[in-house]
Amino acid sequence: MAFPFLSFLKRSQGPEAPGVHPQPFWSFRPRSDRESGDAIVSNFALHMFPAKVSRASLAWKYSFWLGTGSAALFLLLILSGGPLLFLYVPSVERAYASIKDIEYVVTFGSWLRSVHRVGAHLMVVVVALHLVRVFLTGAYKNGVGQGQKREWNWVIGVFLLLFTLLLSFTGYLLPWDQLAFWAVTVGTNIAASIPFVGPQVRELLIGGRAIDQPTLIRFYVLHIVVLPIAVGALFAYHMWRVRKDGGLAAVDKEARENELQEAPASSTKTYTLLGIARGTSPVIKATSISRLDKMVNAVPDLVRRANLVTLATIALISILATFVRSPLEEPANPLVTPNPAKAPWYFLWLQEIVTDTTIKIGSFTVNGAFVGGVVLPGLLVTLLILWPWLDRSPKEAAGVWFARARRRQNLVFLLLCAFVLTLTFVGTVMRGPYWHIYWPWEAWPDIPGRL
Amino acid sequence: MAEHKDRRDFMMKAGLGAGIAGLGLQAAASLRSLVPNVSYDAPTTVKIGMPTDFPDGLKFLPDQRLFVFREGKTFHAISAVCTHLGCTVRAEAMSQPETKEVDGVKMKLTHRFLCPCHGSRYEGDGKAVAGPAPRALAWYHLSISVDDGSLVVDLAQEVARDFRLTLA
Repeated sequence: MAFPFLSFLKRSQGPEAPGVHPQPFWSFRPRSDRESGDAIVSNFALHMFPAKVSRASLAWKYSFWLGTGSAALFLLLILSGGPLLFLYVPSVERAYASIKDIEYVVTFGSWLRSVHRVGAHLMVVVVALHLVRVFLTGAYKNGVGQGQKREWNWVIGVFLLLFTLLLSFTGYLLPWDQLAFWAVTVGTNIAASIPFVGPQVRELLIGGRAIDQPTLIRFYVLHIVVLPIAVGALFAYHMWRVRKDGGLAAVDKEARENELQEAPASSTKTYTLLGIARGTSPVIKATSISRLDKMVNAVPDLVRRANLVTLATIALISILATFVRSPLEEPANPLVTPNPAKAPWYFLWLQEIVTDTTIKIGSFTVNGAFVGGVVLPGLLVTLLILWPWLDRSPKEAAGVWFARARRRQNLVFLLLCAFVLTLTFVGTVMRGPYWHIYWPWEAWPDIPGRL
Repeated sequence: MAEHKDRRDFMMKAGLGAGIAGLGLQAAASLRSLVPNVSYDAPTTVKIGMPTDFPDGLKFLPDQRLFVFREGKTFHAISAVCTHLGCTVRAEAMSQPETKEVDGVKMKLTHRFLCPCHGSRYEGDGKAVAGPAPRALAWYHLSISVDDGSLVVDLAQEVARDFRLTLA
């Protein structure tokens, strides 16, 4: 052969070693189970999927594919952030002008910025909905598989939501307009309200005592390097754990139902060789695995659906971004606070709480910023993280929408969600100048922007 | 042979320890570098203009975020930084000025202060009366510069609410 180093491209001839796949590439239209398996095993991007998945875990009505939607949005945010990296200048003198250029001068700049912004807002929504779905289906619960640690994947998920919020919030400052400046003023002063260490924490966050160049560069680096890497790494771990836990919790439900119908399992299936040796890999009873009528090949069934969700997400954002223009307010002015000054919408429920939680006992006063901005959200996040261990419902409730055994906790959870949504609505729509309540149909009084 | 194993074991642990120590120190140094040693803040003692530049009543100085009040020959200065989360409060003239005794000094309250961020309200002497503000607005020290007679505010020196600067 003229180019021996290209020999890998050539179909191998003669007797093959068992287990060595004969082709360098794979097919997304497999003609056999063997080809279908190869499409997973020999594909770097897809090796996180199993070769076969259960039909139950692909059901739209079970998961709504919200996790895939989140991942698609993250991908889209990385892609749309790329060109913005070339166009944006992270300097207090030039940041605003560079965003203005992106908005009004750069070809397609306004659209790209809108894709990035709409995608970011939607990612907050979709990731939050994903968490709600997992809670309501009890999908953080371990079912019939051995060695499952679904509760830890839930914890990773909570952190992914927090990082999503942080990503969005750090991006909020970058335009260096009034909206950005005062949202960050309020946000970092909440950190400063922590007793004893607050001022030092704020100083570390903003790199000084006033919001200035050090703050901008800190938020910028967090936004484009630190947080995306953190989200990417956690996402990979999140996916890997789904596999280690034997797939979505819906699979456990199905396996249990099969067990009821059939004779007890005679054999088990272990996913990995090492797992057999160590006894650490999830072992699913054969009834759930070997029922071939319940299983489909990941290629094409899973991959096709994932591609559809990704495509739909990209289409939705692309179309929305042509209609929704991204706002750019006046340049940041530390001397004038806009009236009203609002945090991003997903933090407005917290802004409502910090408005109402200043506690006065005699001459002793606890700043609402600490109660509503640090203590309450801290408690909520702690409770979310610990919930899988506090939930005492039977394992039969894993992977079931509104399981009877989890009725009360689902109700409390939904009430909490409704509470947060109500406060978000009040903060977004009903708060006018000086944070007074106005009905949506009431006009705000004319108040001069400057003194 | 035990001797060899001990030596290997020791080398392994020494290497591991050195690696952890090295990375740990690098990480500590990296994090420490992010804590600023110098803060290039605006100066806290600022000349804010000749006393004659100030009209009777209130003047807002956006650069210092400060309200300067003048009543004839007496001056006092109240911060415009909300004590809740640091937004700039706005002054609203009252239709009917009130007179109130503040820390033993009679004071005519001509304005009240409203915060646009979370709706805190303060009386004309800076006292927090509504909303989430945990403390009263700060009062700052005023003096006259010896070199040119202009008014000087010291934003690092809070004073009690009976403080007045009276010109001769």
